[in-house]
Amino acid sequence: MTAPDAARPEPPPLPSAPPVSGAGPQPRQRLHPLTPLLRSFRMIALAVAAISWQGYSNLGTRRWLLAVAAILVVTLVGSAVSWLTTGYHIVDQELRSYEGLLNRRTRAIPLARLQSVEVVRSALARLCGLAELRLEVVGGAKTEAPLAFLTVGQATALRAQLLAAASAARGAPAAAVDTEVDADVAPVEERLLHRVSNRDLVISQLLRPQWWFVPVAAIMPILFFAADGSISFVGLASTLTAVVGVLVAPVRTVLGDWGFTAAMDADGLRIRRGALETRSQTVPVGRVQAVTVTWPWLWRSRGWVRVKMDIAGSTVSAEESERTGTLLPVGTVPAARELIAETLPGFELTSVSIALAPRRARWLSPVAYKILGYGRTEHAFVVQQGVITRELTAVSLARVQSVRVRQGPLERRLGLASVFVDLAGGRSVAAWHRDVNEARELANDLAAQARTARAAHP
Amino acid sequence: MSAFTIWPEDVAWRPVSPKLLWLELISLAIAVLWIVVPSLVVWLFWPSWVPPAVGATAVVVGVVRAALLPRVIRSWGYAERADDLLVRHGRIVHRLSIVPYGRMQFVDVTAGPIERAFGLATVQMHTAAAASNARVPGLDPQEAARLRDRLTALGHAHAEGL
Repeated sequence: MTAPDAARPEPPPLPSAPPVSGAGPQPRQRLHPLTPLLRSFRMIALAVAAISWQGYSNLGTRRWLLAVAAILVVTLVGSAVSWLTTGYHIVDQELRSYEGLLNRRTRAIPLARLQSVEVVRSALARLCGLAELRLEVVGGAKTEAPLAFLTVGQATALRAQLLAAASAARGAPAAAVDTEVDADVAPVEERLLHRVSNRDLVISQLLRPQWWFVPVAAIMPILFFAADGSISFVGLASTLTAVVGVLVAPVRTVLGDWGFTAAMDADGLRIRRGALETRSQTVPVGRVQAVTVTWPWLWRSRGWVRVKMDIAGSTVSAEESERTGTLLPVGTVPAARELIAETLPGFELTSVSIALAPRRARWLSPVAYKILGYGRTEHAFVVQQGVITRELTAVSLARVQSVRVRQGPLERRLGLASVFVDLAGGRSVAAWHRDVNEARELANDLAAQARTARAAHP
Repeated sequence: MSAFTIWPEDVAWRPVSPKLLWLELISLAIAVLWIVVPSLVVWLFWPSWVPPAVGATAVVVGVVRAALLPRVIRSWGYAERADDLLVRHGRIVHRLSIVPYGRMQFVDVTAGPIERAFGLATVQMHTAAAASNARVPGLDPQEAARLRDRLTALGHAHAEGL
């Protein structure tokens, strides 16, 4: 798209071309012209702040203005060049993106490998009515090829188009593709699955152990004051920093999961959340390879659980994955059961029976042996662990990559062995310390079951 | 083998080449030298009991490991079943990997300088899971090529997505 019509938030020109392959290459698209400015906004602000801090008095107003103007001109020229050289288009079944003037980089992303597409809007982007598109690809180490920034309409349309092309490339039934193409024009038909009450969200985050640190941190300076009779600025500041550092996680969760809604539409599971930065993520249902239900100790009195999902391909950094994979930030077991039944079809959270490890496993896990266990259903393998924070992980058998058995010297003595199930992206779950014969059978059965499950749901 | 083994006995295990023992001994000797030589050099400048102790520990660990090596090598084995590849190894910690052909992403055949000197190669089957660990060392080049071709063919026949 060209610069003049980018200013208007009109529907993008994309949907006119059928997204399915065979339509011939599309012209190369540019990102929104404000993109480089938004990207370098922080840099400009920092640079200006640095000059002002360092030398406003030395430079005098006129030279200060000159310096600021110079910075602006340089960044604007750089931005314009980078905007001119950056672009993307869809060719056959690939999304190609280009960037860089000196270091040219072209990246081709096969759409068949597309896992999920997320529309992210930072606070700054929201002010300008823009959005960023993040694509997750099988086997990608991190979120790949962010397309930043596009107008919101453009981003949503491109998202629908990419998902449609992706399911077409994977050989999905034509009917499904058709409805998705229509969805570009009409608002998507979606079915609300669950909405998390913000009150519960806040309470749940207040019930995290981090808050116990606050009274301790408040008492410390008082004690020091009582002992010394004076209070040092450094001591106070470091206490404050520590408090803030500890409380960042719960506060961030509250902001990130504010107004959490899960819905189902033609493309898959649609999750919307966020107070400052609204995110809307679409996960094709078949891509969910595991679901983890956690019972934090402090939540037990309220009967709350948290549910996370593992999406093939979305192995983002530890902190990022903590948020991208949330299926339910807080909720009751029935709510969790319903959501899980939608994401891992055929899995009933409450009806699975767990076989615990034999009693002799207490020599290896003195406390946890009462919890360690596994269960099996037709489509899922379930593992239970965790003494204080109990965790139940259900793995979709159709997504199992390999099965391993391991037996340490102590386990051999006791006639035990552990069975591991590996998933794409480095995740493994384990049935620890089972009887040897049981473990051998389990490994064989899991391999066979995984094979039939794959044949049924390729 | 004891009744407590995790390795199925009803499949045709293929052993790895006995030459792997020499290869492993050489790698072990190199690893030990990497510790012993620097510790002797340090001893020249720092006459204390610490550096020789470090060197002696390395030698002792190396000797014990070398004594175990023949059994470790014999523990390696692989079996091609109809739908998956089984790989077993380990003397102290026993391990068994079951990797379905349909999950294979690609196969690597590697041969390092020492491996080449002995005429050996390593075949590794990769899946989307890093933990799968379907690696078979110490194969004759022909056997390595055969295994690779067979795995690739089977992988295509069973090809699935993720």
